[in-house]
Amino acid sequence: MENEGRRKFLGVCVAGATACAAVAAGYPVFRYLAPKSGQGGGAKLVIPAGELKEGDAKFFEFAGSSAVLIKTKSGELVALSAVCTHLGCIVQWVKEKQQFLCPCHGGQFSTDGTVLGGPPPRPLAKIPLTVTEGNITIG
Amino acid sequence: MLKRLYRWLDLRIGVGEIVEKELTGYLLPRNINEWYSLGSVLLVIFALQVITGMLLMIYYVPDADKAFKSVTFIMNEVPFGWLIRLCHAVGSNMMVAVLILHMLSTLLMGSYKAPRELNWVTGFTLLALVQGISLTGYLAPWSQLSFWATTVATNSASAVPLVGPYLVEFLRGGKLVGPPTLGRFFALHAAVLPVVIAAFIGAHLFLLKRTGISAPPFGREGTATPFEAQQYHYQGHPGGIPFFPNYVLQDLASISVYFAVFLAVVFFWPGMPFTPDAFVPADPFKTPAHIKPEWYFLANYQTLKIFPSELLGLSVQAAAMTFLALLPFIDRSPERHPLKRPLFLTLVIAGILLWIALSVWGHLS
Repeated sequence: MENEGRRKFLGVCVAGATACAAVAAGYPVFRYLAPKSGQGGGAKLVIPAGELKEGDAKFFEFAGSSAVLIKTKSGELVALSAVCTHLGCIVQWVKEKQQFLCPCHGGQFSTDGTVLGGPPPRPLAKIPLTVTEGNITIG
Repeated sequence: MLKRLYRWLDLRIGVGEIVEKELTGYLLPRNINEWYSLGSVLLVIFALQVITGMLLMIYYVPDADKAFKSVTFIMNEVPFGWLIRLCHAVGSNMMVAVLILHMLSTLLMGSYKAPRELNWVTGFTLLALVQGISLTGYLAPWSQLSFWATTVATNSASAVPLVGPYLVEFLRGGKLVGPPTLGRFFALHAAVLPVVIAAFIGAHLFLLKRTGISAPPFGREGTATPFEAQQYHYQGHPGGIPFFPNYVLQDLASISVYFAVFLAVVFFWPGMPFTPDAFVPADPFKTPAHIKPEWYFLANYQTLKIFPSELLGLSVQAAAMTFLALLPFIDRSPERHPLKRPLFLTLVIAGILLWIALSVWGHLS
């Protein structure tokens, strides 16, 4: 009986030590593999206003993802996430129709990101921007 | 829970039978000692080298323009990248050291003798392969140390008569060490040699299972059924101790001791695998002073320097290696106790002292 108790105690100790060793080895490996948290999260991006003509769109990388800046025909500036809300493809700008088309499954979005048609469940996310002294600051 | 899973598996694939045959019913000599666990330690080291190597490949770029930067990135930017790389670099040194210890114990206990000649030959080949994988991995960081150590190492092949210069060019992928060398060395290091080593480990273990484990020539009275070269028979140990749980515990104890030493080097002596030249990117136009190979090549390096002709130096080394590789076919007496083989023991000790002396000389010269 005493031996049984001792054996169980030792078993628990070995299991505990093994678990500690597994965590000690697993944590560095997890951190090594994990993507950097908040990659470019707080960064702002400045684009000269002159780079964009009316009716045009400019795609760029922002906060580790794809984004797009458009200047509507009425001169309004809008920055949106370029990631389709359906399955994560990158939307394309159709200049003639002044709207976004997702080539993967035909999702359509207006210049303010609203869903016009197709399977996307949500509008494109808006990104704040400010215009000062001829520069557009995104984020 | 575990017992239910075991029963579930046993009903389907007969796990119990395998456990009985390979673990609890696998009997080892009663006088088995700690040195027999070095093989298991080596298996763990090899597994760790493979895992850390795979992890390093995630960030490492095998391109001459980017390799050094990618290694610096791993060391300084990637979380715990320094740990993974140090484990890989220190592990490669430890693998050679433990392999040498494993071979020395085999040598002193006479375990290489019949019927285990092939175990020795495959083990000896593994030593050469491990040295090869260490040498090819040395170039990967593309530092001054990697570049010039590889230049010196590959250059020694030029002493081979007739084909020497072509052999050097073939090894390097060009007249000098350069981007093509990195490509072929990386392929050898990360794809070819690990597979070949794994295959040889498989063969080594297969031979061990077929011949049966040798009994030490000393300690408690042996249990081995004697080997007679009449017909094949498995050299079992009736009345011996079971592999599981008895010897597994010894294996785990040795592995723990190994980890204590290994982690002590990783954390308290992280500069062990590096010299200052390891932190400078490779410059093909600037040879640094005093480039030395790794410690386990120092004796070979010094031997090449002692002899007036490189060919002679290489030939002496080749002869010594061939002698060692074919030792079981040369030393055929059945006596295995080292103290009952005074000439052999003297030669082994003299050989070890010579190797240490050459290595120290090589280091200091």
